[in-house]
Amino acid sequence: MGLIGYKKKQLNKNNNFVGFDTMMKKLVIYIFLFCTVIAARAEQTRFTMSAPSAVEMGQQFRLSFQLNDRGTNLQLPPGLSDNFQILMGPSTGQSTSIQTINGKTTSEVTFSYTYILRAKAEGTFEIRPGSIEVNGKVFESNSLAIQVVKAQAQSSQSQGGATQQDQGTAQNVDLDKDNLFVRVDLSKRNVYRGEQIIATVKLYVNPNVPIHGFDEVNLPTYEGFYTQDIDIPQQINFTREVYNDKIYQVGVLKKTILFPQQNGRLTIDPFSMALLIRQRVKARSFFDDFFDNYRTVKARVTSDAVSVNVKNLPTEPANFMGGVGNFNVSSDISSTNVTTNDAVTLTMKITGNGNIRLVRSPELELPSDFEVYDPRATDNVNANDNGVSGTKTIEYLFQPRFEGDYEIPPIKFAYFNPSTGKYVTKSTEAYTLHVEKGTEEQSTTVISSRRKEDLQLIGQDIRFIKSGKPMLQVKGHTFYGSTIFYLIYLITAVLFVVLYFVYRKKARENANIALVRNKKANRIAVKRLKAAAGYMKQNNNEAFHEAILKAFWGYLSDKLGIPVADLNRETALAKLQDRNVAEEVIKDFEEVVDQCEFARYAPAGGSEARHDLYKKAETTMSRFEKQIKR
Amino acid sequence: MRKIIIFILLIAPFFGFAQETNEQLWEKANAYYTTEEYQQAVSTYEQILATGEESAKVYFNLGNAYFKTGDINNAILNFERAKVLAPHDEDIAFNLQVANQYVVTQIEELPKPFFLRWKDSVINKYPTDTWAYISIVTFVLFLLLLGAFLFSKSVALKRLSFWIGIFSVLLSVFAVSHAAQQKAKINNRKTAIVFCPRVTVKSSPSESGTDLFLIYEGLKLEITDQLDKWTEIKLADGNKGWLPDSCIVRI
Repeated sequence: MGLIGYKKKQLNKNNNFVGFDTMMKKLVIYIFLFCTVIAARAEQTRFTMSAPSAVEMGQQFRLSFQLNDRGTNLQLPPGLSDNFQILMGPSTGQSTSIQTINGKTTSEVTFSYTYILRAKAEGTFEIRPGSIEVNGKVFESNSLAIQVVKAQAQSSQSQGGATQQDQGTAQNVDLDKDNLFVRVDLSKRNVYRGEQIIATVKLYVNPNVPIHGFDEVNLPTYEGFYTQDIDIPQQINFTREVYNDKIYQVGVLKKTILFPQQNGRLTIDPFSMALLIRQRVKARSFFDDFFDNYRTVKARVTSDAVSVNVKNLPTEPANFMGGVGNFNVSSDISSTNVTTNDAVTLTMKITGNGNIRLVRSPELELPSDFEVYDPRATDNVNANDNGVSGTKTIEYLFQPRFEGDYEIPPIKFAYFNPSTGKYVTKSTEAYTLHVEKGTEEQSTTVISSRRKEDLQLIGQDIRFIKSGKPMLQVKGHTFYGSTIFYLIYLITAVLFVVLYFVYRKKARENANIALVRNKKANRIAVKRLKAAAGYMKQNNNEAFHEAILKAFWGYLSDKLGIPVADLNRETALAKLQDRNVAEEVIKDFEEVVDQCEFARYAPAGGSEARHDLYKKAETTMSRFEKQIKR
Repeated sequence: MRKIIIFILLIAPFFGFAQETNEQLWEKANAYYTTEEYQQAVSTYEQILATGEESAKVYFNLGNAYFKTGDINNAILNFERAKVLAPHDEDIAFNLQVANQYVVTQIEELPKPFFLRWKDSVINKYPTDTWAYISIVTFVLFLLLLGAFLFSKSVALKRLSFWIGIFSVLLSVFAVSHAAQQKAKINNRKTAIVFCPRVTVKSSPSESGTDLFLIYEGLKLEITDQLDKWTEIKLADGNKGWLPDSCIVRI
């Protein structure tokens, strides 16, 4: 109380607003404490009923009631006499115990009422609560279940009132497998990999065998299992239990939770232990009977091999972390509003029942430019008769490097639920992390180290397959060496030769035509000049000039090999100069052409001028003929 | 000419059909590889090759699939086969180098004279057919230039076409010879891959021959001779010896 008071004071000092709240809390605590005191007082009257849980048919046994106060008017459980015969009772007893702890003395009185009963029939019977009156109040006891089994031959023989000698041998019960054995009791025989099994190592002893002690205890080794021991009391408590229709004293030696780690049939190898048993030595003389003669016998017991059938888990989902059982996840983040290079811790808690120690830490998918440290996992588990349960806490530590808003995705955690035979996926909540820019130099130094990391080659693998068209060809076939390959050579070569000859022939023919025209040129020109002379006589001015022009142009076209279409004054002059025709002749030719063209449109001058022109044309033509040789 | 056209028309649909099924197989095999079903991919690629058709791509992908199933010997064999068809492919060379890291026997190759290395690198620059095309193109160019030489009246053009013509005809001859050498590589298949996990190389083609050296699977070697069921091999470092035929697979 003092401590609580102190704490409250501290709180008061911290914050005045919580004063009222603290007062209320104080009040509640006082009320609570008061109630417990009352409850403790009320609980002081305890009325319990006890009897062995298993008895043989026809065997006598005790049914006793304990009361820690003086009571009156004990009522036996209703319907008790239907199944059991009350042989004797009640015999009452009283015991007082006085305890002194730290100078405080408490005394306790226990009153007991004992009946001796005998079962009438085989089966399991429930004994309903009995009741008693204490200080005018009626208290009810607990109820019990008693299993009645068939009478066993040996014990019935001993009960049959045999001779003293017989009794002596009867006490030395055979130490065979029927009377003394150990076994591994498994809660399940057909499990999934990773599903928990509670294995109990039990010692079964015939009630008539007095055990003196243990020796060489080799408890089983569970190969192929991950194990976790359940704490049980150091002292072995023997309880009565029926096994194979016989009553045994059963002691639990060890309780272990097993997690199978392999598929298939797993066998728990037999284990053995030695028990020390006191046996009465058969009396050799009459006097020996007065002094009980005992010896200690070592009895070795070996268990049978037990096998478990382990089924493989169905196809695992991507985020299965090995958890088999029933789990829940929760998460917590240290802060969602940080500056760059602040460390942020995301804590994930996996709580539940199952192989929690074997669960791997799920991956947290963080933005790639975060500095991420290895997650740290701690587990806190507790093993009891319901299996292993507890919490695994995984802390993910990371540092954001750049400012911005980041999404931290939920962590998906899949586990296998063996009772439904299905995978269950649970996920934590998503967080949005707001990062603000921190101090500059810090971030730059870190970035440089990070860049270095990026350069590392993570792994090597072959390059990916090629796609697109396969471009298949018949094996061993190549374009080179194929008929087409040679044909192309042949065809192009032949084509070349053919073209060569064709071209040459044509060139020759062209040359011939030019020659013919060359030869005929003078004749045609003379003819045309004669025609011009005819026009001159007829005084046909226009036709005369035109005939002279025609004579010249036709002559030059044929002689110089210029097509009529390309023929004009410039080309003609250029060609003439090429052929080294004398400058004055060319000048004369130009004059003639000029005069003709001028006279065609402006008829001037008389027949004299026409005659002169004609003469000039004739001489120029003849000089051309001389000078243009080739 | 008409006959050839008719022949091509007749044969085309048949080829087209065969091509299509093989192309379907190719797509299927690539899909298997992408979904990491490598065993199926291997068998589908092999199915394509069983039709008697081949290509560097098929061998390369098959080699990849074998590599992924862990069969390094077959992976190397197929990468080497792909390399014969496409000597200058960078991906093939890279994957072959990765696969060769798994080969136990490491051999230092004998250094080659620089001109041989140059020659090899020039020849390996292109596969047979590319060389063949180059030779045809240069030959046609030569003919054109010859024509220009013969009919041109300009002296400068004549001179130019003469020299370029000489150059192109030489190039054409080189290309043909390179194509021929590449073709010889495809035809002769003078190299092989060791498939026995561990084999002793003997001095003579019999079991009683002296043990010369030990080689391990995945190694590439050159075949120099053959007798009965024995093959004479030569390693890259110049060592020679005899092996049983069953231990090697020709590339």
